Amino acid sequence: MTTPPLPEPLHPVAREMSERDGGLAAYPPVARWDDWEDYDAVAWPRKVKRRYSLIPTICFNCEAACGLLAYVDHETLAIKKFEGNPLHPGSRGRNCAKGPATLNQVQDPERILYPLRRVGKRGEGQWERVTWDAVLDDIAGRIRRALVEGRQKEIMYHLGRPGHELVYLQRVFHAWGIDGHNSHTNVCSASARAGYAFWHGMDRPSPDHANARFILLLSSHLETGHYFNPHAQRIIEAKMRGARVAVIDSRLSNTASMADFWLSPWPGTEAAILLAMARVLVTERLYDRGFVEKWVNWDEYLREERPDLPVTFDAFHTALEELYAAYTPEFAERESGVPAATIVEVARAIGGAGGALATHIWRNTAAGNLGGWQVARALELLVVLMGAVSTPGGTAPSAWNKAIPAPPMMPPPGKVWSELLMPKEYPLAFFEMSFLLPHFLREGRGKLAMYFTRVYNPVWTNPDGMSWIEMLTDEAKVERHACLTPVWSETAWFADYVLPMGHASERHDLMSQETHAARWIGFRQPVLRVALERRGRTFDLTWQAHEAAGLGQVWEEDEFWIELSWRIDPDGALGIRKYFESPYRPGEKLRIEEQYRWIFENSVPGLPEAARAENLTPLAYMRKYGAFLVEDHVYRTHEQPETGGVVVDGVARRGFPTPSRKLEFFSKTLKDWKWPEHAVPAYVRSHVHWSLIDRARNEMVLLPTFRLPTLIHTRSGNAKWLYEISHTNPLWLHPEDARRLGVATGDLLKVATAIGHFVDKVWVTESIRPGVVACSHHLGRWRLAETAGGERWSTALVDLTHEAGGRWRMRQLHGVRPFESADPDSARVWWDDAGVHQNLTFPVQPDPVSGQHCWHQKVTVARAGAEDRYGDIVVDTEKSFEVYRQWLALARPAPGPGNLRRPLWLPRAFKPDASAYRLP
Amino acid sequence: MRYGFVIDHRRCIGCHACTVACKEENQVPLGAFRTWVKYVERGTFPHTRRYFSVLRCNHCDNAPCVTICPTVALYRRPDGVVDFDGERCIGCKSCMQACPYDALYIDPNTQTAAKCNYCAHRLEVGLEPACVIVCPEEAIIAGDLDAPSSRIARLVAREKVEVRKPEQGTRPKVYYVGADSSGLTPALQAPATSYLWGQRPAAEVDLVQLVASAAARERGTETALSRPVYDAPHLTRPWGGKVSAYLWTKSIAAGALVMAALDRLMSLTRGDALFDTAAPMVALVFLAITMALLVLDLKRPARFHYVLLKSNYRSWLVWGAWILLAFGVVAALWLATGRSPDAGAWHRALLWPALLTGFAAAGYSAFLFGQAEGRDFWQSPLLLPHLMVAALLAGAAALLIVGTAMGASESALLGMGGLLAVSLILHAVLLFAELGVTHANADVALAARLITRGGYRARFWGGAVLVGIAVPLVAILLLPGALVLGSVLALAGLWMYEDVWVKAGQSIPLS
Repeated sequence: MTTPPLPEPLHPVAREMSERDGGLAAYPPVARWDDWEDYDAVAWPRKVKRRYSLIPTICFNCEAACGLLAYVDHETLAIKKFEGNPLHPGSRGRNCAKGPATLNQVQDPERILYPLRRVGKRGEGQWERVTWDAVLDDIAGRIRRALVEGRQKEIMYHLGRPGHELVYLQRVFHAWGIDGHNSHTNVCSASARAGYAFWHGMDRPSPDHANARFILLLSSHLETGHYFNPHAQRIIEAKMRGARVAVIDSRLSNTASMADFWLSPWPGTEAAILLAMARVLVTERLYDRGFVEKWVNWDEYLREERPDLPVTFDAFHTALEELYAAYTPEFAERESGVPAATIVEVARAIGGAGGALATHIWRNTAAGNLGGWQVARALELLVVLMGAVSTPGGTAPSAWNKAIPAPPMMPPPGKVWSELLMPKEYPLAFFEMSFLLPHFLREGRGKLAMYFTRVYNPVWTNPDGMSWIEMLTDEAKVERHACLTPVWSETAWFADYVLPMGHASERHDLMSQETHAARWIGFRQPVLRVALERRGRTFDLTWQAHEAAGLGQVWEEDEFWIELSWRIDPDGALGIRKYFESPYRPGEKLRIEEQYRWIFENSVPGLPEAARAENLTPLAYMRKYGAFLVEDHVYRTHEQPETGGVVVDGVARRGFPTPSRKLEFFSKTLKDWKWPEHAVPAYVRSHVHWSLIDRARNEMVLLPTFRLPTLIHTRSGNAKWLYEISHTNPLWLHPEDARRLGVATGDLLKVATAIGHFVDKVWVTESIRPGVVACSHHLGRWRLAETAGGERWSTALVDLTHEAGGRWRMRQLHGVRPFESADPDSARVWWDDAGVHQNLTFPVQPDPVSGQHCWHQKVTVARAGAEDRYGDIVVDTEKSFEVYRQWLALARPAPGPGNLRRPLWLPRAFKPDASAYRLP
Repeated sequence: MRYGFVIDHRRCIGCHACTVACKEENQVPLGAFRTWVKYVERGTFPHTRRYFSVLRCNHCDNAPCVTICPTVALYRRPDGVVDFDGERCIGCKSCMQACPYDALYIDPNTQTAAKCNYCAHRLEVGLEPACVIVCPEEAIIAGDLDAPSSRIARLVAREKVEVRKPEQGTRPKVYYVGADSSGLTPALQAPATSYLWGQRPAAEVDLVQLVASAAARERGTETALSRPVYDAPHLTRPWGGKVSAYLWTKSIAAGALVMAALDRLMSLTRGDALFDTAAPMVALVFLAITMALLVLDLKRPARFHYVLLKSNYRSWLVWGAWILLAFGVVAALWLATGRSPDAGAWHRALLWPALLTGFAAAGYSAFLFGQAEGRDFWQSPLLLPHLMVAALLAGAAALLIVGTAMGASESALLGMGGLLAVSLILHAVLLFAELGVTHANADVALAARLITRGGYRARFWGGAVLVGIAVPLVAILLLPGALVLGSVLALAGLWMYEDVWVKAGQSIPLS
């Protein structure tokens, strides 16, 4: 086709243009990644050439571990941008908004570039710059003393996002002989994990969305969560091929909005819906009888629970019908508010999907409700009934879709059990009872000689943050607190050391996530170091490369642990040092590239061959491509023949890592550990069930768990492009409730919990169930000083007052404001809202089985009074301690059979030696 | 070859990756967006749904921004991309008025206009735009619409597609598949003062509240409309007081010389100093103020000469500049010859040039505002006559004031008074015709209602009509000796009307 003549005068550039033939490419060809030349976007249409090294790394803004490609400018050594890594099997070159926003984090004009030590009392906000040597010596000395004096339990490392560092850190902490790994899991996914683990021994699902015919989500995977971008790609792929999607979520998420079915139940009634669906599958015989007969421990169920019946599958079918007879669609409708007809329609659609049923729950209702882990179990019941376990388009257990290469020399686990992490009261918890730590210390269960927080921000993220402040400011309880973080946080303010660690492009990590039916590894790299080394520079440690590139003294944690371990055990006498010696240079300190070189040479099947085919070493291959697909199309792993495995169809097979080696519809473990009423998937009325909420007295249920598509917890506070899009978390309120309360959008409401209240503005919306008030947990960041302690793009300046006893009061002095910095954009900040920090007003509510903090709150909602201001927080920690004691009383403590603290088979991060499981 | 986009909203999940990747690629400052995602909701619980719309420059084949841009800073390339060159831009913001899609912004770093340029610098090395490669869902498809086998051409051929505001005749090249029409059409959206996870800038909130009352009456009950729940901020009303003041000063300048020419044409006074020297002086002074206002309204005032040196001959901004210059020359000649003994002969020779350039200077703005295609309210066929009447009104009123002060002849003042009265009546007729007749579309009707019944009603009825028309008419016709008062009020009323007219035209959201 010819171009029509252009009537307008031509710009000189347009006049000189020749037409480009052929299509456009998404990415520069790999062969040119070392020296890629393109044009400066800002100077355009002047053609100003720039030359880059394109170095792959891994995003660090959520756990999905998507690939990034850093463009490092040859002249300035600055990272120009992050694109996706087209060779990454999970993310396939594409990213969500948080991927490119990594650039904001790297270029944050206020980021911490040197280690800081507090001056004055903890939390007073006075800091001085110190040397890394001084930091390492002090911390190593304290740890060494604790180890030598037998105080192994006083060393604790608390992190939010482990990724593949899990194995790395397991090496470190097992080498030290401690039980000190603490995580965020119990404010996040403990109930989902428990639900999955009681079924198949692995604590996550891995849906094969791309090949599904029906997708049932109790998570919002088209906008947030694990693993948002990789899953969202594959969900939509399936949808475009005709798969139908149902979302069960009280709130209209973007995901629910894209679905064919949106089911909005009263929070906590989801298991009733799911069991009603299961009942449809059973009574209408839509389920996969052959699969269930082979792979479910139905016989164990009959023997234990129905001795009156013969041990035949027909009897089991009858037993199932009887067991779930009460879960009629009408019952589910009465419980949930979701129409019975919809429940039946979805159930039959599931029945029609066969083994191509992909499902997922991660937080959502599981994280919100007492007994939320039974929701996950009820969801997996549908998968099992349909025989959709590890099938194309089905839902596999996580571990089968993950590649975890072994590092050199794994130390044996320590013979230590930390009661601060895994107390007797919660023998089945998934996992550490991290959010109860302040209460444990208050009860005198121990103290901490050395406490690390890594990016994790419990003061802000956890419920009952004021109790965390009380704990962190008590130097008798926490003797030393080091915060490993690239950015300021509410928790860092209460540290003794603030130690700058690298962002996504400033550290090594080996990542693997169960994004789809495959196994892959991704390699996070410090791209400035790699770029400099490609040009002949050499460095002992990554921070030296950062300093050479003008990035201060930002360390990477891998090297921090090696260095710290050497200083804890300088002569090797404690038996620690040997694990941090080079596998290539005996007796010498391990260099970080040697660690990964060894792994790539020895632990990744197929990688050495792939590298050889390109004339590269395995390490050079990973540095170049940043990812490797270990195995594709991973299906029916449980059927693989395995010596000593479970016999199915006359062949010993791999089965599942449960006591029965099968899928456990009936969990003898739960029965033996004092929860016989929960031994099979069941429905538990939540602590916020509608029968407990009196709307006439303005009681409502607060749904405080949902995320926004553009933010990640507390690590994205310096991402200006993300906060420009999302910066406020109003209370979602149905018009009916708004009328009753006499409020409109923008009016203030006072939301009272059991321990205090917060004041937030209203967002009247048709996207929430009446009686429910919802508030995103992403916003409400704060700082205590004008120019330090918080990212000014995202935090409000607040006044925090500790009044009498446990009474705390927080008031916003001002919201987000424009500020002067090296980045001219900081003077252009046009929003002033920082949101409201609701989590401070939540008491801890540990589920007695999973240990999950049950986030949903029964609240009393009223119009704000004359004295109330937007963002006000009032909390009484005495009351929060009382609520803690009430929930603690629900627990059914160890020991279980064999005088054990915890079933030996049950997963636990960094399992201690078996001997430590036995109570004295 | 014509590059375009397909946005496939069957796939889009509203994640904003395109927004952020674009900001990263093009270093777009805070407060500005080259592409953004709008959310609207419809329905009542539990039958509620949220719809996403990815909005951006449409790379129109018939791009109004290219037409109006006086300096060829905006241009359509042979491959269909509408690109921009910040180094030629003078920051007149006319492109922001011409674009019906809210695609342009002023870059605070350069104070020049910018927008999506299809990542032209990436095209140059054979790469797709940044938004395309980041999209998790491959919902943004770039390519050559003219290549029948390209993915984009096949999609456009086989799927049901729509474009934003096809009635604007811009021939947009961003095609939507599976989009919700109400997300693409601001007239179908209820007003919103805040969003579900973002604020709106104060200026936007003020404007929304200003328009809301008029909108409620114009567009019916809100429940019939979609509810916008997220949108990116946009600069409100790029043209402010300087532009409305320029219209007013230009009316005075043009009108004053036209009065002198009419006097000569009708042989009214045969050489009153009011017309021979005072009128061209008024014209030149107000022309100078007009030019100063125009230059000062530029974001890059030092580049004002680009209008003449890097001209786009299709832009009425360029023609306007030449017309004003020509008008200035005629006015200067009129003044220069005003005291010569041959003034009569000179002015008879200059009569038609004066009338021609005077009316051209008064009226060309109708074509300029007509090129502001984004503002439907300004697309009135009555604008040209109205501007001419405004010039007569302003010229007569100005000369009445000056003439009274300098003691001009009775006949001159009477003539001016009569002309003022006539032009006030014509002004009133045109004004009510513009605001009162059936409107071209809902946006025009809304802008008109904003003036007559909405937030501007006090200034309109009290200022433009009562103070600016009714009182002066009474003063001129019934109160001898109140001519000056009537003239001052008529001028004040005209200014208020033009200010309200300029503001109301920009008050209706474009996206």
